[in-house]
Amino acid sequence: MVRRDFLKSTVKIFFLLISIISVSVFSIFTYPWKFKRKELTFFHATDEEALPIKGVRQVFIKHIRGNTQINSKAFIVNSGSELFALSPVCTHLGCLVNWYRPKNRFLCPCHGGQYDMNGKVVKGPPPADLNRMPIKIEDGKVYIGLRV
Amino acid sequence: MGKIFDWIDSRFGVKQPHKKFLERPVPEGVNYAFCLGGASFVFFLMLVCSGLMLSIYYVPSEQEAFMSIVRLNNDVTLGAFIRSFHKWSANLLIITIILHTIRVFIYKAYRPPRELNWIAGSLTLIIALGSGFTGYLLPWDQKAYWATEVGTSMASTVPFIGKYILYLIRGGEDVTGATLIRFYSMHILYFPTIMFLLLWAHFHMIKKQGVKGGL
Amino acid sequence: MAEKRNKEFYPDYLVEISIVIFIAVELTVVLALVYPQLIGRQIDFSTPYRPLPEWYFLWLYQAVRYFPGRWAFIGTVLLPFIAAISLIMIPYIDRGKRGRTRAILVGVSLLLAFVVLTLIPYISP
Ligand code: HEM
Ligand code: FES
Repeated sequence: MVRRDFLKSTVKIFFLLISIISVSVFSIFTYPWKFKRKELTFFHATDEEALPIKGVRQVFIKHIRGNTQINSKAFIVNSGSELFALSPVCTHLGCLVNWYRPKNRFLCPCHGGQYDMNGKVVKGPPPADLNRMPIKIEDGKVYIGLRV
Repeated sequence: MGKIFDWIDSRFGVKQPHKKFLERPVPEGVNYAFCLGGASFVFFLMLVCSGLMLSIYYVPSEQEAFMSIVRLNNDVTLGAFIRSFHKWSANLLIITIILHTIRVFIYKAYRPPRELNWIAGSLTLIIALGSGFTGYLLPWDQKAYWATEVGTSMASTVPFIGKYILYLIRGGEDVTGATLIRFYSMHILYFPTIMFLLLWAHFHMIKKQGVKGGL
Repeated sequence: MAEKRNKEFYPDYLVEISIVIFIAVELTVVLALVYPQLIGRQIDFSTPYRPLPEWYFLWLYQAVRYFPGRWAFIGTVLLPFIAAISLIMIPYIDRGKRGRTRAILVGVSLLLAFVVLTLIPYISP
């Protein structure tokens, strides 16, 4: 019966191999290996005279992602000592935060995350501070860097 | 009617192998709580029917999805009704599956030899939740987009490999048209097929083991 | 018992099944007509928005709030995963002498967690 046993294990190994190959091909095929990596691009956001003296101003940046026209938002903050741009994307799970002037805080509507004027987490579940965006001022125009 | 069925059955033979199932004696202590499983199945079939109808008009693309839902709702005869019907059968399916699970638990019907059937049932519940999640994105409106943004971001909180799971689910870094197509495919092909297989296994085991009666 | 055995699938049980089907379809039709699905607003990438999930994911939406910072993955992935596994494993939890008691403990805590976490967002949004 050696022949029979050999045939049995051949069949088993054959089907095992087919399964392993199918599962691997499926996973490799499904994973998005070659999606477009994002590159830092500067967009004109506003003009220098419109910058806040002290406080927060939101600006909108129009750009194109794929075939879709997107109107992104960014906050330009002047804390008195420093001028910087903050991304409105909550670091928790990606909702957009609001600037709430009465409390001088950024509030996230989703799970109650709160950040102060510098983007530091002060309350709620976010694991990190709001991301800073690159900003540069040239010829009186303000540009904000977006990864698109 | 009967004649046509008999003619088909004499060749195809569905009746004979199911005779024992169809004519089985039903155990004592069966009451209306035992309908919940059947009711879930009815809702699932209703979802398949209404879903197949929706998929005739729905366009799963970034540019078209939202407009196709608007068209479906406003221009297609009965469109708004079929959409609502699909949504409500999904909600009722989840409710009846949960109640069915509770019923099975109370009657201890998960005990051997029915463990495997409990597992098949639990997987059905999980797949149903998955269908609900993927279906939520399809209208491609404000609520759909942000709910998916938050929901898929949860995967990225897994230590070390979270980012890669996120890319796999979204088909890229952001929720885009690639995500929409992924979810659409899961929603109308993968999950319903898996569900059919699980339910077939479920019913096969019921046929074999019978319904456990009494507490 | 004798009377029961005389019942046949067709037509006796099929009648009962028809009633279940009828109620299920009718309920859905009525709900769909009374509470139709609305059309949402177009996606807006710049206005903060609070997306509520379907009611059967509200528990998760609520659970996520309790795990800040580095611990977020407990609420988002670990606990739901444990819940799913313990649901699947119930037949194996119910083993041995106090099996049923343990299974009831697990089952009731799963149900309670689901119900309580779902109700919290309704009561205090
Ligand atoms: C063969 C089965 C199914 C097919 C072909 C199907 C197809 C579709 C299609 C084309 C849509 C988009 C149209 C729309 O949004 O109104 C949709 C939406 C949806 N489906 Fe399904 N579906 C199936 C099963 C299910 C199941 C099992 C569930 C849940 C347990 C489900 C839940 C949903 C939900 C929640 C939506 C969103 C409805 C809305 O917001 O309008 N579907 N489905
Ligand atoms: S997404 Fe901002 S708190 Fe959860």
